[in-house]
Amino acid sequence: MQGIQFKNVSKFYEEGDSEFTALNNVSISVNPGEFVAVVGPSGSGKSTFLSIAGALLQPSKGNVMINGTNLKDLKSIELAKLRLEEIGFILQTSNLVPYLHVLDQLLVVKKMKGSITAEDKRYAKELLEEVGLGNKVKKYPDQLSGGERQRTAIARAFINDPNIILADEPTASLDSQRAFEIVELISKGVKSRNKAAIMVTHDERLLTYCDKVYQMLDGNLELMKKQPLTNH
Amino acid sequence: MFLALKELKHAKLRFFMIGMILVLISWLVFILSGLGNGLSSLSASSFKKMDAEFVVFEEGSRHSMLRSVISDDMTKDLKALPNVEDAAPMGYRSAVVLKENVTSDDEKIDVSLLGIHPGSFLEPEVIEGHSLEKGKNTEVIVNDSLKNQGIHIGDTLEIEGSTEVITVVGFVKNESFNHLPAILMTMDHWRTIHFAAPGSDMGINNPVNAIMLQGKQINPDEVNQAIEGIETTTKKEAINGIPGYTAENGTIMMMLAFLMAISAVVITVFFYVLTLQKSNQFGIMKAIGASNAFLGRAVVSQVFLLAVVSIGFGILLTYGTAAILPDEMPFALDLKLVFSYAIVLLIVSVLSSLFSVRKITKIDPLQAIGRIE
Repeated sequence: MQGIQFKNVSKFYEEGDSEFTALNNVSISVNPGEFVAVVGPSGSGKSTFLSIAGALLQPSKGNVMINGTNLKDLKSIELAKLRLEEIGFILQTSNLVPYLHVLDQLLVVKKMKGSITAEDKRYAKELLEEVGLGNKVKKYPDQLSGGERQRTAIARAFINDPNIILADEPTASLDSQRAFEIVELISKGVKSRNKAAIMVTHDERLLTYCDKVYQMLDGNLELMKKQPLTNH
Repeated sequence: MFLALKELKHAKLRFFMIGMILVLISWLVFILSGLGNGLSSLSASSFKKMDAEFVVFEEGSRHSMLRSVISDDMTKDLKALPNVEDAAPMGYRSAVVLKENVTSDDEKIDVSLLGIHPGSFLEPEVIEGHSLEKGKNTEVIVNDSLKNQGIHIGDTLEIEGSTEVITVVGFVKNESFNHLPAILMTMDHWRTIHFAAPGSDMGINNPVNAIMLQGKQINPDEVNQAIEGIETTTKKEAINGIPGYTAENGTIMMMLAFLMAISAVVITVFFYVLTLQKSNQFGIMKAIGASNAFLGRAVVSQVFLLAVVSIGFGILLTYGTAAILPDEMPFALDLKLVFSYAIVLLIVSVLSSLFSVRKITKIDPLQAIGRIE
């Protein structure tokens, strides 16, 4: 089965003597081509949810399937490989490697897998062209604006052609116009490349780009009523 | 290598500074090794070069030429022992020589007088002039460093405190003993100088200081049992018995060891702090799929590159220094020695970086996801 599935996933943290429930029996399925948003106040369990979806954290209970693979069965080195090949992360801004220029930000991901081919370079340039950075491939992160850094991160998330795209507050430090552009770019990439995407955000203005919106509250995930897609 | 090179290029100043420290340390290591090598050959080159495996001293002399007097008569007995291929005696005393007819005290030269039998395996090849000859007792061959003091072939030298004179007939290379350039002479003549005072030979017939033995299979215990009143040691122990040799070498070795330790600590701390600084960055790269091996290789290859370049510069600087050092300095760079210290430094550097690698493996990729609830 393609995409990402949570089946009755719970996550508990020990806090002294008591147990804290970060995720409570969460089930969700995101199929290829679907762009899903998870909103909720801070402390609601959004990050825990995203960390589990991103194979960074193992759930206490339940199963997580990514592209038909149950994460429970994987060792940490296999999890790293799965993250590399199946998951594209778009993190908060300035999460680029400071000493790599824009093109290398993408190529380093290829390098983690093995060697860089001419085809990889061509694809990386194509992706950067797509996010509007075609003329900035040799710029370093400190020479880019916040929006441009985030565009680089988007292109980086797509470079390995993963099946899952996970975005963690991708617009956290951007003004509204930049924020809309960024989410639109993610949405376009997800649709045109048929990826299953989850975006965690607290910015409700952006939800118009998403197919489904879930709300996270005290570890419980609930589907909100469907938002009309205004610009499609 | 990808990350390592890109970062080296990007943060030039940072890596230049740590590289400088490595250059200075390796420079000092090579200079010290050259100095140590020079000193030890000055101290014992005549011993080190001789083609012998074992040395026979007087019993109780604790491997010192100065304390040992034995009779040359036992040389033929030693030769007759099993496994002994050849044996030849040597005598040593330090002396001050002066060119004849020179009155100024500035021209006095400190030397080691070594008595040998002409034609024995202890006689080094001359690089100029001719070798010692039996019967021509006043003829000597001298170390070529004496040329710097204005000594030429044919010069006659007076020996202070003695009425004997000697004539230089040849030069040899790298012959010094007890930090002084060697003058090699016939055993007979050496004896007349060394045992000039009546009774100073303690009644020993044909006295010498030590007898060198050739033969790899020699068992020193058997030799000691066969002949009374002697102790047999390996050449290495005999070299260590030369006054000051172990102390000098020990000091230099200690300094070298400290330098190695310092460079290990400097590299460890520098890259560890750098790794701590970059832990968020490493976390992100792990989150997007970098394995520990990938990131670890980046750090190790970075240290490797930095060390190779820095040590290379250190070697260049060392040879530059060697070129301007005065000739009298006991400084002898040995390519093999420089190379082996370079390898040791490189290994120490790379091993030090493993500390950072360990830290990297412990970085949790979770920290890339902003806040952990």
